Amino acid sequence: MSYIVPIGPYHPALEEPVHAKLYTEGEEIKDAEVFIGYNHRGIEKLATQKNYIQTLVMVERVCGICSHSHAWTYAMALEGIAGMEVPKRGEYIRVITEELERLHSHYLWIGIALHIIGHDSLSMHTWDDREAIMDVLEELSGNRVNYGIVTIGGARRDIDDVKKMHILEMLDKIEKSMNRLTEILLNDKTVALRTQGVGVLTTEDALRIGAVGPQARASNVCVDVRKDAPYAHYEDFDFEKVSYPTCDVFSRVVIRVLENYESIKIIRQALAMLPDGKINLGTKIPKIPEGEYMCRHEAPRGQLCYKVVSNGGEFNERVSIHVPTFKNAPTVPTMLKGNSVADAGLIIASIDPCFSCMDR
Amino acid sequence: MQEYKKIFITKDEVVPTAKRMREAGVPLAMIHGFINKEGKGNVSYEYEVGTGIESYTVDGENSLPSIESIYDLGAQWAEREISELMPITFEGLDTSKRLFMPEDIGENKGQILVTPMKELINQRFPGKEAGK
Repeated sequence: MSYIVPIGPYHPALEEPVHAKLYTEGEEIKDAEVFIGYNHRGIEKLATQKNYIQTLVMVERVCGICSHSHAWTYAMALEGIAGMEVPKRGEYIRVITEELERLHSHYLWIGIALHIIGHDSLSMHTWDDREAIMDVLEELSGNRVNYGIVTIGGARRDIDDVKKMHILEMLDKIEKSMNRLTEILLNDKTVALRTQGVGVLTTEDALRIGAVGPQARASNVCVDVRKDAPYAHYEDFDFEKVSYPTCDVFSRVVIRVLENYESIKIIRQALAMLPDGKINLGTKIPKIPEGEYMCRHEAPRGQLCYKVVSNGGEFNERVSIHVPTFKNAPTVPTMLKGNSVADAGLIIASIDPCFSCMDR
Repeated sequence: MQEYKKIFITKDEVVPTAKRMREAGVPLAMIHGFINKEGKGNVSYEYEVGTGIESYTVDGENSLPSIESIYDLGAQWAEREISELMPITFEGLDTSKRLFMPEDIGENKGQILVTPMKELINQRFPGKEAGK
């Protein structure tokens, strides 16, 4: 018997609105379509009516999870147009904040995935650890989200010895509990039954569609902007690009767990090597000359691109934002085919979608 | 700093450039579109070449060939978004269903980047005004 099963735009397994249509034969999904745009706020249009500092504040609100990535990438684009050289200490502070953001983003996703597969006790433990990261971010910036760390030409807030000590203490704490979490995720029968062989995206399909970030790396496509096109002195740090070959939801779990260890490594190195000196080039509204620049950035969910066009005036001529979910969402129909309707929520969630980012 | 290089191409060079890049294994980072001061389309195809970006830009055209057959869904979604948001069309692209904008806005031309908000609201909710 054939059915069309609608999912969303509002659905308990979705944190944000998106609409999918599943074409099924009984329980099996034969084909699927995805429709987006339910969170469209016209941010690119608004950016053409705001000055650079106002836009920096606005783009930080494109997303509540990777807010720092958005602000940083927009600032990188402007710094590219103006040819600014950001003080190294400022860049390191941006890196530390970015990796803390990646940690809490991956923890959030692991918790959501565990909730969807019905392992709520472990989901709560995961989010308990995430709180420690959020506390540190709050101490650094005064906020749990929208940290306001980035300014054009550097960072707005410094990291003193007390904050440094608190970050290191938090990393020691979560690394210890992460070892236990990793052991359970990799060996637990419930996790294995719900994730192994489910929602497969082959390496060929990932390359064909152009998946990015952890979604690509979980399909054994080893791409990571931090290594492939280094920015902000990422080349100073010793860390690995992580990939995993099973191409299923389990692979996406493994990737995020292993990437957490790499983020911890980067933060420890950045704190140990934190250079002396200025953290920014001043906080006045900068003069951005006529020109354009596009840059790439490895946000928690993958490659984030900002293209900014300036006419030399007060406002942006054009800001174009392309986010990892926009590259990964087209993989969803391919992953859904051949799976059961009951796994659809988990498969859609496995790309770690951010529809708020995607719709802008 | 990542290198950014802009190269102007003609409409006829869009497909050969995409084929050359695909054959060389170069990822398509994104397709950006906007409307220039003369009201014409300006579309740039951003390719990840080495550690930098090569931006192949077509200026002054409102209709371009689709590269969906070369870069698959990675190009198709970007082209669909651009064609729904501004008056730029892609020849050969299936636009029978909306990806991004509601089916009932602007008769298959979203144009939200160039249409005044008042007009958009009037299309969707005739007689209503923003904030009321």
